[in-house]
Amino acid sequence: METISRPVVVKRMPERLNARAAREFLRDVQPFLVTDRPQLVFDLSQVKQLDAAGVEMLLRCMSEAHKRDGDLKLASLSPQAAVVLELTRTERLFEIYDTSADAVRSFSGFLPNAMRQQLLHRQQPPAPLAA
Amino acid sequence: MDIRALVLVSKAVEDAADPMPLSALAPALLEVAGRTAVQRMVERLQEFGIHSTTVIADSDFLIATDGNQQGTTCQTTPRERFWRAAENAFSDLAQEGAELVLLVHLGGYAEINLEKFVQFHLDQHARVTQVSVQGEPLQIFCISASRRNDAASLFRSQLTRCRSECPTFEHNGYFNPLREARDLRQLTIDILTLKTETKPSGIEVRPGVWMERRAVIEKGARVLAPAFIGAFARVRTHAVITRCSSVEHHAEIDCGSVVENSTVLPYCSIGAGLDVAHSVIGAGVLANLRRNVTVEIADRKLIGFVVAGRGQRFLSAAFELAAYLPKQMWRGVFGPSQPQQRDLRTALHNTSPSLGGAAGYQASACDTDAAEKFPSTLAVARRYGDH
Repeated sequence: METISRPVVVKRMPERLNARAAREFLRDVQPFLVTDRPQLVFDLSQVKQLDAAGVEMLLRCMSEAHKRDGDLKLASLSPQAAVVLELTRTERLFEIYDTSADAVRSFSGFLPNAMRQQLLHRQQPPAPLAA
Repeated sequence: MDIRALVLVSKAVEDAADPMPLSALAPALLEVAGRTAVQRMVERLQEFGIHSTTVIADSDFLIATDGNQQGTTCQTTPRERFWRAAENAFSDLAQEGAELVLLVHLGGYAEINLEKFVQFHLDQHARVTQVSVQGEPLQIFCISASRRNDAASLFRSQLTRCRSECPTFEHNGYFNPLREARDLRQLTIDILTLKTETKPSGIEVRPGVWMERRAVIEKGARVLAPAFIGAFARVRTHAVITRCSSVEHHAEIDCGSVVENSTVLPYCSIGAGLDVAHSVIGAGVLANLRRNVTVEIADRKLIGFVVAGRGQRFLSAAFELAAYLPKQMWRGVFGPSQPQQRDLRTALHNTSPSLGGAAGYQASACDTDAAEKFPSTLAVARRYGDH
Protein backbone atom coordinates (compact mmCIF):
# COMPACT_ATOMS: atom_id res chain seq x y z
CA MET A 1 0.00 0.00 0.00
CA GLU A 2 1.34 3.42 -0.90
CA THR A 3 0.46 6.37 1.30
CA ILE A 4 1.22 9.94 0.29
CA SER A 5 1.72 12.27 3.26
CA ARG A 6 -0.40 15.40 2.83
CA PRO A 7 1.14 18.85 3.37
CA VAL A 8 0.55 20.80 6.56
CA VAL A 9 -0.08 24.48 5.96
CA VAL A 10 1.30 26.82 8.62
CA LYS A 11 -0.15 30.32 8.56
CA ARG A 12 0.95 33.21 10.76
CA MET A 13 -1.92 35.35 11.96
CA PRO A 14 -1.80 39.17 11.85
CA GLU A 15 -1.16 41.39 14.87
CA ARG A 16 -4.71 42.73 15.04
CA LEU A 17 -7.53 40.37 14.28
CA ASN A 18 -10.67 42.46 14.11
CA ALA A 19 -13.66 41.95 11.79
CA ARG A 20 -11.89 43.35 8.72
CA ALA A 21 -8.59 41.55 9.28
CA ALA A 22 -10.48 38.32 9.99
CA ARG A 23 -12.32 38.59 6.65
CA GLU A 24 -9.05 39.15 4.80
CA PHE A 25 -7.37 36.30 6.62
CA LEU A 26 -10.27 33.98 5.86
CA ARG A 27 -10.01 34.91 2.19
CA ASP A 28 -6.30 34.01 2.31
CA VAL A 29 -6.78 30.59 3.86
CA GLN A 30 -9.96 29.68 1.93
CA PRO A 31 -8.04 27.82 -0.85
CA PHE A 32 -6.37 25.60 1.75
CA LEU A 33 -9.64 24.95 3.57
CA VAL A 34 -11.46 23.64 0.51
CA THR A 35 -8.86 20.96 -0.27
CA ASP A 36 -9.42 17.33 0.65
CA ARG A 37 -8.58 16.67 4.33
CA PRO A 38 -6.91 20.05 4.98
CA GLN A 39 -4.22 20.16 7.67
CA LEU A 40 -3.70 23.65 9.00
CA VAL A 41 -1.68 25.24 11.77
CA PHE A 42 -2.32 28.85 12.74
CA ASP A 43 0.58 30.57 14.46
CA LEU A 44 -0.78 33.16 16.90
CA SER A 45 2.54 34.38 18.28
CA GLN A 46 2.14 37.87 16.82
CA VAL A 47 -1.49 38.41 17.77
CA LYS A 48 -1.80 41.45 20.02
CA GLN A 49 -5.51 42.06 19.66
CA LEU A 50 -8.17 39.47 19.06
CA ASP A 51 -11.86 40.20 19.13
CA ALA A 52 -15.07 38.21 18.77
CA ALA A 53 -14.92 38.35 14.97
CA GLY A 54 -11.41 36.84 15.06
CA VAL A 55 -12.52 34.01 17.33
CA GLU A 56 -15.57 33.45 15.14
CA MET A 57 -13.29 33.19 12.11
CA LEU A 58 -11.12 30.60 13.88
CA LEU A 59 -14.20 28.54 14.69
CA ARG A 60 -15.41 28.82 11.11
CA CYS A 61 -12.03 27.62 9.80
CA MET A 62 -12.08 24.68 12.19
CA SER A 63 -15.63 23.84 11.21
CA GLU A 64 -14.71 23.93 7.50
CA ALA A 65 -11.63 21.76 8.10
CA HIS A 66 -13.68 19.21 10.08
CA LYS A 67 -16.30 19.07 7.33
CA ARG A 68 -13.58 17.89 4.94
CA ASP A 69 -12.15 15.44 7.44
CA GLY A 70 -9.18 17.67 8.16
CA ASP A 71 -8.09 19.59 11.24
CA LEU A 72 -6.97 23.01 12.39
CA LYS A 73 -4.49 23.38 15.23
CA LEU A 74 -3.23 26.49 16.98
CA ALA A 75 0.35 27.16 17.98
CA SER A 76 2.50 29.70 19.84
CA LEU A 77 -0.40 31.54 21.41
CA SER A 78 0.49 35.04 22.55
CA PRO A 79 -0.75 35.86 26.08
CA GLN A 80 -3.33 38.23 24.57
CA ALA A 81 -4.76 35.55 22.28
CA ALA A 82 -4.73 32.99 25.08
CA VAL A 83 -6.68 35.33 27.38
CA VAL A 84 -9.36 36.02 24.74
CA LEU A 85 -9.75 32.34 23.84
CA GLU A 86 -10.11 31.53 27.53
CA LEU A 87 -12.59 34.37 27.99
CA THR A 88 -14.79 33.12 25.15
CA ARG A 89 -14.55 29.47 26.25
CA THR A 90 -13.09 28.44 22.92
CA GLU A 91 -9.61 27.34 24.02
CA ARG A 92 -11.03 23.91 24.86
CA LEU A 93 -12.22 23.40 21.28
CA PHE A 94 -8.78 23.66 19.70
CA GLU A 95 -5.66 21.58 19.95
CA ILE A 96 -3.04 24.09 21.09
CA TYR A 97 0.73 23.57 20.86
CA ASP A 98 3.68 25.55 22.18
CA THR A 99 5.35 25.82 18.78
CA SER A 100 4.31 25.50 15.16
CA ALA A 101 6.81 22.65 14.75
CA ASP A 102 5.07 20.69 17.51
CA ALA A 103 1.71 21.32 15.88
CA VAL A 104 2.98 20.15 12.46
CA ARG A 105 4.53 17.06 14.02
CA SER A 106 1.25 16.23 15.74
CA PHE A 107 -0.43 15.66 12.36
CA SER A 108 1.78 12.63 11.77
CA GLY A 109 0.67 11.20 15.12
CA PHE A 110 -2.01 9.03 13.56
CA LEU A 111 0.30 7.36 11.04
CA PRO A 112 1.05 3.69 11.57
CA ASN A 113 4.25 3.12 13.52
CA ALA A 114 6.12 1.68 10.55
CA MET A 115 5.41 4.77 8.45
CA ARG A 116 6.37 7.10 11.30
CA GLN A 117 9.74 5.35 11.53
CA GLN A 118 10.24 5.75 7.77
CA LEU A 119 9.44 9.45 8.01
CA LEU A 120 11.83 9.93 10.91
CA HIS A 121 14.62 8.18 9.00
CA ARG A 122 13.95 10.40 6.03
CA GLN A 123 14.09 13.58 8.18
CA GLN A 124 17.22 12.69 10.19
CA PRO A 125 20.61 13.17 8.42
CA PRO A 126 22.85 10.07 8.41
CA ALA A 127 25.08 9.80 11.48
CA PRO A 128 28.74 10.69 10.80
CA LEU A 129 31.04 7.74 10.60
CA ALA A 130 33.49 7.23 13.43
CA ALA A 131 37.08 7.97 12.51
CA MET B 1 -5.82 66.98 72.16
CA ASP B 2 -6.70 68.41 68.73
CA ILE B 3 -5.63 65.85 66.15
CA ARG B 4 -6.47 66.36 62.49
CA ALA B 5 -5.72 64.35 59.41
CA LEU B 6 -4.43 65.15 55.96
CA VAL B 7 -4.94 62.41 53.36
CA LEU B 8 -3.09 62.72 50.05
CA VAL B 9 -4.01 60.72 46.95
CA SER B 10 -1.81 60.91 43.89
CA LYS B 11 -1.15 58.62 41.01
CA ALA B 12 2.50 57.56 41.11
CA VAL B 13 4.71 58.62 38.20
CA GLU B 14 5.39 55.01 37.22
CA ASP B 15 1.63 54.32 37.22
CA ALA B 16 1.04 57.30 34.95
CA ALA B 17 3.59 55.89 32.50
CA ASP B 18 1.87 52.47 32.51
CA PRO B 19 0.86 51.85 28.87
CA MET B 20 -2.26 49.93 29.84
CA PRO B 21 -3.65 51.09 33.19
CA LEU B 22 -6.82 49.49 34.51
CA SER B 23 -8.29 52.91 35.17
CA ALA B 24 -7.39 56.56 34.83
CA LEU B 25 -7.73 56.85 38.59
CA ALA B 26 -5.16 56.12 41.27
CA PRO B 27 -5.69 52.66 42.82
CA ALA B 28 -6.69 54.32 46.11
CA LEU B 29 -9.64 55.91 44.27
CA LEU B 30 -10.93 52.63 42.86
CA GLU B 31 -13.85 51.00 44.66
CA VAL B 32 -13.10 47.71 46.33
CA ALA B 33 -16.16 45.95 47.75
CA GLY B 34 -18.12 49.17 47.58
CA ARG B 35 -15.72 51.78 48.88
CA THR B 36 -12.37 53.26 47.92
CA ALA B 37 -9.26 52.98 50.05
CA VAL B 38 -9.61 56.72 50.73
CA GLN B 39 -13.15 56.33 52.06
CA ARG B 40 -12.08 53.39 54.21
CA MET B 41 -9.16 55.40 55.60
CA VAL B 42 -11.40 58.39 56.41
CA GLU B 43 -13.84 56.06 58.19
CA ARG B 44 -10.98 54.56 60.16
CA LEU B 45 -9.79 58.01 61.19
CA GLN B 46 -13.33 58.81 62.36
CA GLU B 47 -13.48 55.58 64.35
CA PHE B 48 -10.38 56.76 66.21
CA GLY B 49 -12.03 60.11 66.96
CA ILE B 50 -10.42 62.23 64.23
CA HIS B 51 -13.39 64.08 62.77
CA SER B 52 -11.61 66.74 60.77
CA THR B 53 -9.94 65.35 57.67
CA THR B 54 -8.71 67.08 54.54
CA VAL B 55 -8.35 64.96 51.40
CA ILE B 56 -6.23 66.23 48.51
CA ALA B 57 -6.29 64.33 45.22
CA ASP B 58 -4.39 65.05 42.00
CA SER B 59 -7.14 63.84 39.69
CA ASP B 60 -10.42 65.46 38.76
CA PHE B 61 -12.33 62.69 40.44
CA LEU B 62 -14.75 63.98 43.05
CA ILE B 63 -14.36 61.91 46.16
CA ALA B 64 -17.81 60.92 47.31
CA THR B 65 -18.55 61.83 50.88
CA ASP B 66 -21.69 60.43 52.39
CA GLY B 67 -23.42 61.31 55.62
CA ASN B 68 -20.95 59.31 57.71
CA GLN B 69 -18.04 61.33 56.40
CA GLN B 70 -19.02 64.74 57.71
CA GLY B 71 -16.11 66.97 58.55
CA THR B 72 -14.19 65.76 55.52
CA THR B 73 -12.99 68.41 53.11
CA CYS B 74 -12.02 67.29 49.60
CA GLN B 75 -9.80 69.22 47.21
CA THR B 76 -8.59 68.35 43.75
CA THR B 77 -5.49 69.96 42.38
CA PRO B 78 -3.39 69.67 39.23
CA ARG B 79 -0.47 67.24 39.45
CA GLU B 80 2.19 69.96 39.24
CA ARG B 81 0.70 71.88 42.20
CA PHE B 82 -0.05 68.81 44.30
CA TRP B 83 2.74 69.12 46.90
CA ARG B 84 2.29 72.89 47.22
CA ALA B 85 -1.42 72.34 47.91
CA ALA B 86 -0.57 69.71 50.52
CA GLU B 87 1.83 72.12 52.26
CA ASN B 88 -0.80 74.87 52.27
CA ALA B 89 -3.41 72.49 53.68
CA PHE B 90 -1.02 71.55 56.49
CA SER B 91 -0.47 75.24 57.33
CA ASP B 92 -4.25 75.81 57.38
CA LEU B 93 -4.74 72.92 59.80
CA ALA B 94 -1.99 74.26 62.07
CA GLN B 95 -3.54 77.73 62.02
CA GLU B 96 -6.94 76.32 62.90
CA GLY B 97 -5.45 75.01 66.13
CA ALA B 98 -4.41 71.44 65.39
CA GLU B 99 -1.74 70.09 67.73
CA LEU B 100 -0.96 66.97 65.78
CA VAL B 101 -1.51 66.24 62.10
CA LEU B 102 -1.71 62.70 60.79
CA LEU B 103 -0.41 62.71 57.24
CA VAL B 104 -1.42 59.71 55.11
CA HIS B 105 -0.31 59.34 51.50
CA LEU B 106 -2.32 56.64 49.68
CA GLY B 107 -0.49 54.68 48.22
CA GLY B 108 -1.25 51.52 49.94
CA TYR B 109 -3.99 50.67 52.38
CA ALA B 110 -2.87 50.11 55.98
CA GLU B 111 -5.00 49.46 59.05
CA ILE B 112 -2.88 51.23 61.62
CA ASN B 113 -3.76 51.40 65.29
CA LEU B 114 -3.83 55.18 65.35
CA GLU B 115 -4.14 55.37 69.14
CA LYS B 116 -0.87 53.47 69.62
CA PHE B 117 0.76 55.46 66.81
CA VAL B 118 -0.06 58.83 68.39
CA GLN B 119 0.98 57.58 71.82
CA PHE B 120 4.31 56.38 70.34
CA HIS B 121 4.86 59.82 68.77
CA LEU B 122 4.20 61.58 72.07
CA ASP B 123 6.40 59.17 74.05
CA GLN B 124 9.31 59.74 71.63
CA HIS B 125 8.96 63.57 71.96
CA ALA B 126 9.55 63.58 68.19
CA ARG B 127 8.67 66.29 65.70
CA VAL B 128 7.84 63.78 62.99
CA THR B 129 7.17 60.03 63.34
CA GLN B 130 6.89 57.65 60.39
CA VAL B 131 5.15 54.27 60.08
CA SER B 132 7.03 51.28 58.71
CA VAL B 133 6.05 47.73 57.79
CA GLN B 134 8.75 45.08 58.25
CA GLY B 135 11.39 47.80 58.15
CA GLU B 136 9.98 49.30 54.93
CA PRO B 137 8.89 52.93 55.53
CA LEU B 138 5.31 53.88 54.58
CA GLN B 139 4.27 57.40 53.68
CA ILE B 140 2.24 57.77 56.86
CA PHE B 141 3.44 60.36 59.38
CA CYS B 142 2.44 61.95 62.64
CA ILE B 143 3.66 65.56 62.66
CA SER B 144 3.62 68.02 65.53
CA ALA B 145 1.71 70.92 63.99
CA SER B 146 3.96 73.57 65.53
CA ARG B 147 6.96 72.20 63.60
CA ARG B 148 6.13 73.84 60.30
CA ASN B 149 9.67 73.85 58.97
CA ASP B 150 9.96 70.09 59.41
CA ALA B 151 6.63 69.65 57.66
CA ALA B 152 7.63 72.01 54.84
CA SER B 153 10.88 70.10 54.28
CA LEU B 154 8.92 66.85 54.19
CA PHE B 155 6.44 68.14 51.61
CA ARG B 156 9.14 69.71 49.45
CA SER B 157 11.00 66.40 49.27
CA GLN B 158 7.71 64.64 48.36
CA LEU B 159 7.75 62.79 51.69
CA THR B 160 11.13 61.20 51.05
CA ARG B 161 13.33 63.18 53.46
CA CYS B 162 12.83 64.43 56.97
CA ARG B 163 14.75 67.45 58.29
CA SER B 164 15.09 66.17 61.83
CA GLU B 165 15.46 62.71 63.36
CA CYS B 166 12.37 60.68 62.53
CA PRO B 167 11.58 57.67 64.71
CA THR B 168 9.65 54.84 63.05
CA PHE B 169 6.56 53.12 64.38
CA GLU B 170 6.44 49.45 63.33
CA HIS B 171 3.01 48.48 62.03
CA ASN B 172 2.09 44.81 62.49
CA GLY B 173 -1.49 44.88 61.22
CA TYR B 174 -3.00 44.65 57.76
CA PHE B 175 -1.21 46.33 54.87
CA ASN B 176 -1.76 46.21 51.11
CA PRO B 177 0.55 48.25 48.85
CA LEU B 178 -2.17 48.72 46.15
CA ARG B 179 0.44 49.03 43.42
CA GLU B 180 -1.03 46.81 40.72
CA ALA B 181 -4.08 44.80 39.74
CA ARG B 182 -2.93 41.84 41.85
CA ASP B 183 -2.94 44.02 44.99
CA LEU B 184 -6.41 45.34 44.18
CA ARG B 185 -7.65 41.77 43.82
CA GLN B 186 -5.95 40.73 47.06
CA LEU B 187 -7.63 43.59 48.92
CA THR B 188 -11.02 42.44 47.59
CA ILE B 189 -10.36 38.88 48.77
CA ASP B 190 -9.16 40.06 52.18
CA ILE B 191 -12.20 42.29 52.67
CA LEU B 192 -14.67 39.59 51.56
CA THR B 193 -13.04 36.92 53.73
CA LEU B 194 -13.04 39.39 56.65
CA LYS B 195 -9.26 39.37 57.09
CA THR B 196 -9.40 43.15 57.34
CA GLU B 197 -11.12 45.23 60.00
CA THR B 198 -13.02 47.10 57.31
CA LYS B 199 -16.03 45.29 55.87
CA PRO B 200 -17.77 45.27 52.49
CA SER B 201 -20.36 48.00 52.19
CA GLY B 202 -24.05 47.23 51.75
CA ILE B 203 -26.17 44.59 53.43
CA GLU B 204 -25.20 40.97 53.95
CA VAL B 205 -28.21 39.39 52.24
CA ARG B 206 -26.93 35.83 52.76
CA PRO B 207 -23.90 34.66 54.74
CA GLY B 208 -20.93 35.99 52.79
CA VAL B 209 -22.97 37.75 50.09
CA TRP B 210 -23.09 41.54 50.30
CA MET B 211 -25.34 43.69 48.16
CA GLU B 212 -25.67 47.43 47.92
CA ARG B 213 -28.85 49.37 47.19
CA ARG B 214 -30.54 48.98 43.81
CA ALA B 215 -28.32 46.04 42.79
CA VAL B 216 -30.25 43.62 40.60
CA ILE B 217 -29.72 39.87 40.47
CA GLU B 218 -32.03 38.45 37.83
CA LYS B 219 -33.89 35.19 38.19
CA GLY B 220 -31.68 32.22 37.33
CA ALA B 221 -28.43 34.01 38.19
CA ARG B 222 -26.31 32.53 40.96
CA VAL B 223 -24.19 34.41 43.45
CA LEU B 224 -22.02 32.13 45.57
CA ALA B 225 -20.44 33.39 48.80
CA PRO B 226 -18.22 35.19 49.41
CA ALA B 227 -19.20 37.82 46.85
CA PHE B 228 -20.09 41.48 46.57
CA ILE B 229 -22.58 43.17 44.22
CA GLY B 230 -22.33 46.96 44.16
CA ALA B 231 -25.00 49.64 43.88
CA PHE B 232 -26.96 49.68 40.59
CA ALA B 233 -25.00 46.65 39.37
CA ARG B 234 -26.91 44.08 37.35
CA VAL B 235 -26.28 40.34 37.17
CA ARG B 236 -28.35 38.94 34.34
CA THR B 237 -29.99 35.55 34.12
CA HIS B 238 -27.85 32.39 34.26
CA ALA B 239 -24.74 34.37 35.17
CA VAL B 240 -22.62 32.96 37.98
CA ILE B 241 -20.61 35.08 40.43
CA THR B 242 -18.32 32.97 42.58
CA ARG B 243 -15.11 32.67 44.62
CA CYS B 244 -14.58 36.06 46.24
CA SER B 245 -15.71 37.96 43.17
CA SER B 246 -16.74 41.56 43.37
CA VAL B 247 -19.00 43.35 40.90
CA GLU B 248 -18.67 47.04 41.66
CA HIS B 249 -21.33 49.71 41.25
CA HIS B 250 -23.06 50.16 37.87
CA ALA B 251 -21.25 47.12 36.44
CA GLU B 252 -23.17 44.59 34.36
CA ILE B 253 -22.70 40.86 33.89
CA ASP B 254 -24.61 39.59 30.90
CA CYS B 255 -26.52 36.31 30.55
CA GLY B 256 -24.64 33.08 31.18
CA SER B 257 -21.27 34.65 32.00
CA VAL B 258 -19.19 33.19 34.80
CA VAL B 259 -17.18 35.54 37.01
CA GLU B 260 -14.79 33.54 39.13
CA ASN B 261 -12.21 34.97 41.53
CA SER B 262 -12.38 38.33 39.74
CA THR B 263 -13.06 41.99 40.33
CA VAL B 264 -15.24 43.93 37.90
CA LEU B 265 -14.56 47.63 38.32
CA PRO B 266 -17.35 50.26 38.24
CA TYR B 267 -19.23 50.92 34.98
CA CYS B 268 -17.71 47.86 33.23
CA SER B 269 -19.92 45.43 31.37
CA ILE B 270 -19.13 41.82 30.56
CA GLY B 271 -20.73 40.28 27.49
CA ALA B 272 -22.91 37.21 27.33
CA GLY B 273 -21.55 33.72 27.92
CA LEU B 274 -18.01 34.68 28.83
CA ASP B 275 -15.68 33.04 31.32
CA VAL B 276 -13.86 35.60 33.45
CA ALA B 277 -11.48 33.98 35.92
CA HIS B 278 -8.59 35.25 38.07
CA SER B 279 -8.86 38.72 36.55
CA VAL B 280 -9.49 42.37 37.21
CA ILE B 281 -11.69 44.00 34.58
CA GLY B 282 -11.21 47.70 33.96
CA ALA B 283 -12.20 50.14 31.26
CA GLY B 284 -11.77 47.93 28.16
CA VAL B 285 -8.82 46.25 29.83
CA LEU B 286 -8.50 42.81 31.38
CA ALA B 287 -5.66 42.02 33.77
CA ASN B 288 -5.31 38.25 33.97
CA LEU B 289 -3.49 37.43 37.19
CA ARG B 290 -2.80 33.78 36.42
CA ARG B 291 -1.02 34.62 33.16
CA ASN B 292 0.32 37.87 34.59
CA VAL B 293 -0.72 39.84 31.52
CA THR B 294 -2.86 42.91 30.88
CA VAL B 295 -4.83 42.79 27.64
CA GLU B 296 -6.72 45.55 25.90
CA ILE B 297 -10.10 44.29 24.72
CA ALA B 298 -11.31 46.56 21.96
CA ASP B 299 -14.43 44.52 21.24
CA ARG B 300 -17.28 46.05 23.22
CA LYS B 301 -19.29 42.84 22.83
CA LEU B 302 -16.82 41.18 25.17
CA ILE B 303 -15.93 43.90 27.64
CA GLY B 304 -17.59 47.28 27.40
CA PHE B 305 -18.71 50.29 29.37
CA VAL B 306 -21.98 51.14 31.00
CA VAL B 307 -23.14 54.68 30.23
CA ALA B 308 -22.20 56.83 33.23
CA GLY B 309 -24.68 59.72 33.09
CA ARG B 310 -28.14 59.23 34.57
CA GLY B 311 -29.88 60.99 31.66
CA GLN B 312 -27.97 59.03 29.05
CA ARG B 313 -28.74 55.80 30.88
CA PHE B 314 -32.45 56.66 30.96
CA LEU B 315 -32.50 57.51 27.26
CA SER B 316 -30.64 54.35 26.24
CA ALA B 317 -32.97 52.22 28.44
CA ALA B 318 -36.02 53.92 26.91
CA PHE B 319 -34.66 53.33 23.40
CA GLU B 320 -33.99 49.66 24.17
CA LEU B 321 -37.50 49.26 25.52
CA ALA B 322 -39.04 50.95 22.46
CA ALA B 323 -36.92 48.86 20.08
CA TYR B 324 -37.52 45.57 21.89
CA LEU B 325 -40.97 44.67 20.59
CA PRO B 326 -40.36 45.49 16.88
CA LYS B 327 -37.04 43.63 17.08
CA GLN B 328 -38.69 40.53 18.52
CA MET B 329 -41.43 40.64 15.89
CA TRP B 330 -38.85 40.99 13.13
CA ARG B 331 -36.86 38.07 14.54
CA GLY B 332 -39.99 35.97 14.92
CA VAL B 333 -41.03 36.48 11.31
CA PHE B 334 -37.72 36.62 9.44
CA GLY B 335 -35.02 35.39 11.83
CA PRO B 336 -33.66 31.84 11.93
CA SER B 337 -35.12 29.64 14.62
CA GLN B 338 -32.73 29.14 17.52
CA PRO B 339 -32.97 26.13 19.80
CA GLN B 340 -33.52 27.08 23.43
CA GLN B 341 -30.80 26.14 25.87
CA ARG B 342 -32.16 23.61 28.22
CA ASP B 343 -30.19 24.13 31.38
CA LEU B 344 -27.27 25.90 32.94
CA ARG B 345 -24.90 23.00 32.26
CA THR B 346 -25.61 23.16 28.54
CA ALA B 347 -25.19 26.92 28.56
CA LEU B 348 -21.83 26.68 30.28
CA HIS B 349 -20.52 24.11 27.80
CA ASN B 350 -21.34 26.20 24.76
CA THR B 351 -19.15 28.92 23.36
CA SER B 352 -20.04 32.53 24.04
CA PRO B 353 -23.13 33.93 22.29
CA SER B 354 -21.02 37.08 21.83
CA LEU B 355 -19.31 35.23 19.00
CA GLY B 356 -22.33 35.60 16.73
CA GLY B 357 -22.85 33.04 13.98
CA ALA B 358 -20.11 30.70 15.07
CA ALA B 359 -21.46 30.49 18.61
CA GLY B 360 -23.52 27.44 17.76
CA TYR B 361 -20.43 25.48 16.85
CA GLN B 362 -20.20 22.27 18.89
CA ALA B 363 -17.02 20.26 19.04
CA SER B 364 -17.24 16.62 19.91
CA ALA B 365 -15.52 17.29 23.23
CA CYS B 366 -18.41 19.53 24.24
CA ASP B 367 -21.24 17.37 22.99
CA THR B 368 -23.36 17.23 26.11
CA ASP B 369 -26.24 15.57 24.24
CA ALA B 370 -24.10 12.52 23.61
CA ALA B 371 -23.14 12.40 27.27
CA GLU B 372 -26.78 12.52 28.35
CA LYS B 373 -27.62 9.36 26.38
CA PHE B 374 -25.65 7.30 28.88
CA PRO B 375 -26.58 6.80 32.53
CA SER B 376 -24.47 8.81 34.96
CA THR B 377 -23.36 5.62 36.72
CA LEU B 378 -21.66 4.30 33.60
CA ALA B 379 -17.89 4.48 33.91
CA VAL B 380 -16.20 5.56 30.70
CA ALA B 381 -12.65 4.29 30.83
CA ARG B 382 -11.39 5.67 27.55
CA ARG B 383 -13.81 8.05 26.02
CA TYR B 384 -11.85 9.44 23.13
CA GLY B 385 -9.46 6.56 22.47
CA ASP B 386 -9.13 4.31 19.41
CA HIS B 387 -12.28 2.59 18.26
